[in-house]
Amino acid sequence: MWQYRELITNLTVADLKNKYQNTSLGFFWSLLSPFLLGGVLYIVFRHLFGQDKDYVSNLLVGIMAWRFFSVGTASALGAIVGKPSLVTKVYIPRQILVLSSTLSTLISSFLEFLILLPIIFILRDKLPPTLPLFALLHILYFWFIYSIGLILASVFVYFRDANQIWDVMLSILLFCSPIIYPLSIVPQYIMPYYMLNPITQVVIMYRAVMIGGTLPSLSGLAITLIFVAAIFSIGRFTFSKLQRRFAEEL
Amino acid sequence: MDTIVVENVSKRFRIPHEKKATLFQNILGVIKRQFSYEEFWALKDVSFEVKRGETMGVIGRNGSGKSTLLKILAGVLYADRGSITVNGRISSFLELGAGFQPELTAKENVFLYSSILGVSRREVRKKYDNILDFAELRKFESMKLKNFSSGMYLRLAFATAIHADPNILLIDEVFAVGDEAFQSKCVDKINQFREQGKTIVFVSHSMEAVKSLCHRSLLLHNGNIVSIGETEKVIADYLTISRQ
Repeated sequence: MWQYRELITNLTVADLKNKYQNTSLGFFWSLLSPFLLGGVLYIVFRHLFGQDKDYVSNLLVGIMAWRFFSVGTASALGAIVGKPSLVTKVYIPRQILVLSSTLSTLISSFLEFLILLPIIFILRDKLPPTLPLFALLHILYFWFIYSIGLILASVFVYFRDANQIWDVMLSILLFCSPIIYPLSIVPQYIMPYYMLNPITQVVIMYRAVMIGGTLPSLSGLAITLIFVAAIFSIGRFTFSKLQRRFAEEL
Repeated sequence: MDTIVVENVSKRFRIPHEKKATLFQNILGVIKRQFSYEEFWALKDVSFEVKRGETMGVIGRNGSGKSTLLKILAGVLYADRGSITVNGRISSFLELGAGFQPELTAKENVFLYSSILGVSRREVRKKYDNILDFAELRKFESMKLKNFSSGMYLRLAFATAIHADPNILLIDEVFAVGDEAFQSKCVDKINQFREQGKTIVFVSHSMEAVKSLCHRSLLLHNGNIVSIGETEKVIADYLTISRQ
C-alpha cells in the first residue's frame, strides 16, 4: 500500500473537497451538526440524566465517537459502487477506495473532536492529562471502521440493499451503545452481553481519557484490539475474494 | 524478451436470466434453488506473446472478446483459467479520464488522474506545463471540470494520460472520439511511442489504423484466436470472416 500513498492522499483530499466545496459554510456544517444534535438531546433528556454533572461532556464525546462510526461505515459502504470508473476502467488496488473514504471521515472526525476540547474545558474547568492517549484510541477505532468498511463495500457491490440493512443496523447499534444514555442505567443482568459491543468499549475508553482522566482498562483495550484484528482479517479476506468480480458487477 | 505473455487464458461471464439485485431476491432464489444464469465463455484458451517494443493489433467483430482481453491485461478483470505475465509499468486507456472528478479544477484533476496512472507527484509537477500546453488549456487550469466542454475534457484526459510515460500501453478505441485534428494528434503520439520502443496493444475496428500502426495482429472470433501474425494477412482473414 505504501507505494500508493500519493494516490491515497489525492483521493482523500478529493473526497473532502467534494464533500464540502459546494456548501456555503463548508467544513463549518460538519462541525456544527453534532453540537446541534448534542443540544437537542440534552434538552430532551436533561430531566432524565441531567443530574450527572458530566452528562453533557459524556454526551458530546459519545456523539463524536458515534458519528465517526456511522458516517465512516456509511461512506465506506458506497466507496466502490460510487466510483465505478476507477474499478472498471483502470487498475488500482480497490482497497484504496475504501481506505481513502475512511481517511476522509477520520479527518472530519478529528476536527470535530478538536472543537470538543475547549467545550470540555469550559464545562469542567480542566482537561485531563491522559488526553494524548486519544490519538491512540482514534487510530484503533479508525482501523475498526476501515475493516467494517471493507466488508460493507465489497458486499454492497453484489447486494444493493446492503445499505438499507446497514441503516437499520446503525439505528439498532446506536441504542445498544451508551451514547445518549449513561452506562449506569443498563441493567446488571444484560451487562456481560452489553459489554461485548465494541462501540461500547471504545466510547468508555474515549470518555476515560478525555473526561475522567483515567487510563483505559487493559482488559478493555485487549478485548478491543483482538476484536479489531479479527474483524480486519475477516474484512481483508472478504474483500480480496469479492473484489475479483467487481468489474463484472458494476 | 517478451513483455506480455498470455497463456491459456479463459474468461467466463455469468449472464443472469433476471437480475437479482437485492438480498431478498437472492435469498428467494437460493430457497427456490434457482441459480438462473447462463455461462458464457468470452475467451477460450487464448495464448500469445507480445515482444518488447512491438505493437500488437487486436481485431475482431463485436462481441468477439477484444475488450475482455484488454481488461484482463489491464488487471481490471480476472481470468478464470490460465496466466498472464506483464513486465513493466502498464497504462490502460480503456477510457480516457477514468477517475476525473467534475467538482475539482483542471489542475487538481491532472494531479489526481496522474496518480491513478501511477505517476509520482514530483514527476507531474515537472510535466505539468507540458500537459497543459499539449491540451491547449492553459487559460482554464483553475476552472472546474464540470464546466468543460466534452472536447476540452478529452484533451485534458489525453494529455495527462500520455504524459504518464508507461512502458506498456493498452488502447481500446479511445481515440475514435474527438475531431479530426484530435485524432491525428493521437496517431502522431502513438507513432512517437512506437519509435521510443514502447509496447502497445491496440484494439480497433479501423483497419486503416491497425494496418498503419501494428507490426503484428491477432484476430479474435467467438473468444478464440483464429489468426495471428502479419497484420496484412490477419486483416485478410478478418474480412473473410466478416463476409460470412
